[in-house]
Amino acid sequence: MSRPAPSPIYTLRGAGGPLNTLHFSCFGGDTPLLFSGSGKGAIHIWNLNSRRAEKILEGHSGNSVIWVDTLESTGALISQGRDTRVWLWDLREGRSEVVDSVWTGSVGFCQSSLLESSPGIYLLAFAGQQTEEIKIIELPSKTPVCTLVPDTKLGMVMCIKLWQPDSGPGPLLLAGYEDGSLLLWDVTQRSKLSQAKAHPEPVMCLTFDTERLRGISGSSEKKLSPWMLDRQNNLQLQDCVPLVNPGVSHLCIRQDGKLLASAGWDHRVRVFGWKRLRPLAALQYHTDMVLSVAFSDHQDPRRRLLAAGSKDHRVSLWSIYSSNDGDNDG
Amino acid sequence: DEPQHVRLKVAQCLRTLTACTHDEDIAAALHTLHSYVDEGPESFTTSVQRAEFRRAHYTRALQCLVSNVQADWLRRLAAAQRIELWDGLFLHGPPEQALLVLMEGIGSLRPSTNLDHLVSITERFLQSGRLADLLWSYCLETAPSDSPQLRETLLGRIVALPDLTANRLHPHNKPLFLPRQYYPLLASEMLTALERTCQALKGEDGTDCSLTFVAQTLGKVCIQGHSDVVLAVLAPRLSACTHSDMVWRRVCWKLLENVPQRWIESVLNGLVQSLLSRPDAFGRIIGNLVLTNKKAQFVITHKLLLLHYKYKTQVLRIVLGYLAADRERRPLLIQVLRSVSQAWANPSAVKHTPLEQQLYVTKALLLSVNLLTDSELQELRSELLQCLLGGMQSHLDSNVVQIRRVGMVVGECLSTRMDISGTKLKFEYEQDEDTRELLSLMTPAVTSDEPASSENKTGPRSSKTDPDSDLDSDDELTPYDMSGDQEISQASPPRYLRDCLETLISSEDPARVELSLRVAESLVRKNAFATREISVQLTKVLLHMEDKYSINGFLSLRQATMVALAATDCIPVTQYLTTEFYSLNYSLRQRLDILEVLALAAQELSKPITEKRDPSVGTAANTDLTLYPGDNPVHWRQVVEKRIQSNTKRLRRGATQPLAKATPNRYAPVAGHFFFPLLRNYDRPQLTFDLLGGDHLVLGRLIHTLGLFMHLAVNAPIAAQMGRALLDFVWAVRYHADQMVRRGVLFAVCSVFLSMPSQNLLLDFSDQLFETRTWLADVAEGDPDADCRSLAIQSLVLLDKSLKKQLQDPQALSPES
Repeated sequence: MSRPAPSPIYTLRGAGGPLNTLHFSCFGGDTPLLFSGSGKGAIHIWNLNSRRAEKILEGHSGNSVIWVDTLESTGALISQGRDTRVWLWDLREGRSEVVDSVWTGSVGFCQSSLLESSPGIYLLAFAGQQTEEIKIIELPSKTPVCTLVPDTKLGMVMCIKLWQPDSGPGPLLLAGYEDGSLLLWDVTQRSKLSQAKAHPEPVMCLTFDTERLRGISGSSEKKLSPWMLDRQNNLQLQDCVPLVNPGVSHLCIRQDGKLLASAGWDHRVRVFGWKRLRPLAALQYHTDMVLSVAFSDHQDPRRRLLAAGSKDHRVSLWSIYSSNDGDNDG
Repeated sequence: DEPQHVRLKVAQCLRTLTACTHDEDIAAALHTLHSYVDEGPESFTTSVQRAEFRRAHYTRALQCLVSNVQADWLRRLAAAQRIELWDGLFLHGPPEQALLVLMEGIGSLRPSTNLDHLVSITERFLQSGRLADLLWSYCLETAPSDSPQLRETLLGRIVALPDLTANRLHPHNKPLFLPRQYYPLLASEMLTALERTCQALKGEDGTDCSLTFVAQTLGKVCIQGHSDVVLAVLAPRLSACTHSDMVWRRVCWKLLENVPQRWIESVLNGLVQSLLSRPDAFGRIIGNLVLTNKKAQFVITHKLLLLHYKYKTQVLRIVLGYLAADRERRPLLIQVLRSVSQAWANPSAVKHTPLEQQLYVTKALLLSVNLLTDSELQELRSELLQCLLGGMQSHLDSNVVQIRRVGMVVGECLSTRMDISGTKLKFEYEQDEDTRELLSLMTPAVTSDEPASSENKTGPRSSKTDPDSDLDSDDELTPYDMSGDQEISQASPPRYLRDCLETLISSEDPARVELSLRVAESLVRKNAFATREISVQLTKVLLHMEDKYSINGFLSLRQATMVALAATDCIPVTQYLTTEFYSLNYSLRQRLDILEVLALAAQELSKPITEKRDPSVGTAANTDLTLYPGDNPVHWRQVVEKRIQSNTKRLRRGATQPLAKATPNRYAPVAGHFFFPLLRNYDRPQLTFDLLGGDHLVLGRLIHTLGLFMHLAVNAPIAAQMGRALLDFVWAVRYHADQMVRRGVLFAVCSVFLSMPSQNLLLDFSDQLFETRTWLADVAEGDPDADCRSLAIQSLVLLDKSLKKQLQDPQALSPES
């Protein structure tokens, strides 16, 4: 007998706009935090103990915030907005100042990707001003590292993921384009390693499991498309996972590699087992498109939550499969 | 001459034994007697003398010994001497005479050491295989050509030995005499006798043997009800022996032929059941008995196939397989198929025989059809077709789901088998255990070792096919219920009940109709005032609505909405529905819908009001309604059982549960609106609807629904009037031919007894109670339907309880006086 469908353990309201992006930060300090970027240009810092917004950062001149992340070692917050800029915030000791900003030139919705290449040194990949252009710079020095442009016309860059493979010297970059192609770039060589046509429609989102070298991407179709990297770094498409309703805006794999969550246009968050992509749950709470999902990185596995941000101005938090022997409090 | 000589000698010995006190004389006399029964070469008597002694004097001598068993000389004999001389006489002479004397002695002696002595001799008599000698002596006809009476007595003694000893010895009975030990012993002694017969037949000299006595013993044991024990020993051995040995087969056939007519039935019944695991042995053992013996033929072709429905299906397989196995018996198979198909198709049998029997006959029909060859089928084609058509009609007419299913399965199977110009019947029915078993009969039975071996082959292979099964750790994550994960449609559901009604009346857009139907129930419940304005109109629309767009869950959605309407705006809606129930131009389904809606609404009203009516109520009701096809009788049975449970007093200590908070019953004030209008007009047949005629399906449901209204009206002031009216109503149809109607009637009676206040029961029905009781007792005893019987018993118990309570309470009768 299957368990009844779960309901959220609590919700966060009052963001005042669609929640484009979510980011947990539970490592530093005592209070687990959740950052959210809204369509009205505000970044909310939610205290997950009091379940209130601790601080609201207004930035990007009121333009929509499409991506937030933290630079763990420096305690800085990084956010990207539709004002074609990436901003760096200093949040230490209660401050909330903009310390730097990077002009990207991209007017699209592509979220940037951050990778800590060596302690304190970060690589930031973002879509550039040209249609197919991806730029990589080093932070905090803002030194340009490279620019990646494919030979053929692929349309706008839709989503990117920068990662460091265990074998091999330099970082690699996965990018999804407007015509549904996926490209794997070698950043140091500035060359394309492989290419695959994952979708007939634009790639809306992708996520990648660096341990298993396996990723999955979503589009506006009724399916998710998983793929794999073989030893020669070739992208190999695998059997599609069907969805009930079309459209996925965001995908996220839990840190332990067990779960995959998808943010659906059908107002639902779907949870799959990551290894076999078996559907496990369809979380229904939101009344509008879900735009982003995130898994908490809390040290205590039992307090690792799933957060979903939606166009209906709400963030829902779910506790599913968070203890080892299955889930009892969901 | 010799006989004279023997007589004198024996007389002298017996005199000595009676009168003499000298031990030497006694011993000499015993020795002399012994010499007549001793076969040894050193014996000094001639064979003629011995034969004469055995014929005429042995019984007398033994009787003399038994009558002198209390004599002093017997005590003085040494133990060894006594065993050799005294006991030995019993164990060496003709066994039939010894057994008779022993049984007579046991019958006449009082409990004493002497009786114990005789008992121990009898034990040794049995243990030393004397029974086999006895039977064998009758096979050889060496036993004196005795009178029929003597033979009858002997048979009686052999077969009833456990009863005789148990009657005499009471608690001191020996284990050997208990049926569980004695009858297997008797069976193995019979086998020994048969074996000797076989050897004698195979021998050079070709001795003639008669199996009459063994056959009589077998018959008598079986008719006395010990066939299972005896045949459990006999049948496997006979089956093994007849496997390859023709002489054994002939012996078995002869044995069965010699069983007297009046006992052959129980022998055959026992034999068939003890051969369940060896289906082919039946033919080997009984041979062509079915052709020669009229009684056996009747038992095999008629009683076993049509009447003994308590037997397992394997019995049918054995019997039909037996008939099909031999060319000479083949015509009987065809004859059997004729009679079975007639029995199956008989409309009166469909109505009046128990369901189990119908299933049994159906199995017989399918099995025998399966055994026929194509040419034989061709010959029987027209008859079978007739049976199929007529029988299916009467089965499909039935109100009982199982019978209908049987009709469908048989229709499918027969049409497949007969290959009627390439067309096959195909029905839609839910599979259950019975239908699966019936369908499995059409595939020939496989021998038991085949599937086992194939399983062995596939076993290891299937475990190998999953190379990465160890990686599969998703399994530890149990999925949540994802039934709510449906496709979302673009249109938005209506927000007002009036919009909903408009859509249902006029819209041609399937998506909008579906959305309206889905939200209708919650809209009805959300706004009672809006509902009251259009309740009757909406009910009318829903009642006439058809599933044009095959909407998922259409029936339950429609029903839930109608129930919500009837519960929210009770009086106008019930008035409308009860009037429509008897009006023209409705299908049976619609009338049944009306009844179901009324019943569910009454149930909902009679439940206490929950404080908060949250939206989950709607979904909860939805899940309840998944049992939409109203044929399921479980529901009301649960209701009755719950009621009886609550009437059962349970004494217990400890904290009592807090009293439930009293809430007004919403059903009590409107119960009459549900109930009485349905009692009007039932006897007015119309062009399309004849409740007391052909539409007994609706009648059964109507009575049942009325019973439910009655049951829910417990403690309502109107319950007494309702009960009176209901009993009057059902009285007219209590002997209805359809069991669903009878079940409904009994359910109604049950609920009347449960819900009527007991003082009213006695006051209002004092004149009818006696008749009712007699009727219920009749039904409880004789109704072919098991449910009817148990319901009748239930009603009787309730009636008695209620009456007893009333009569024991002096206060209760005071209003009358």
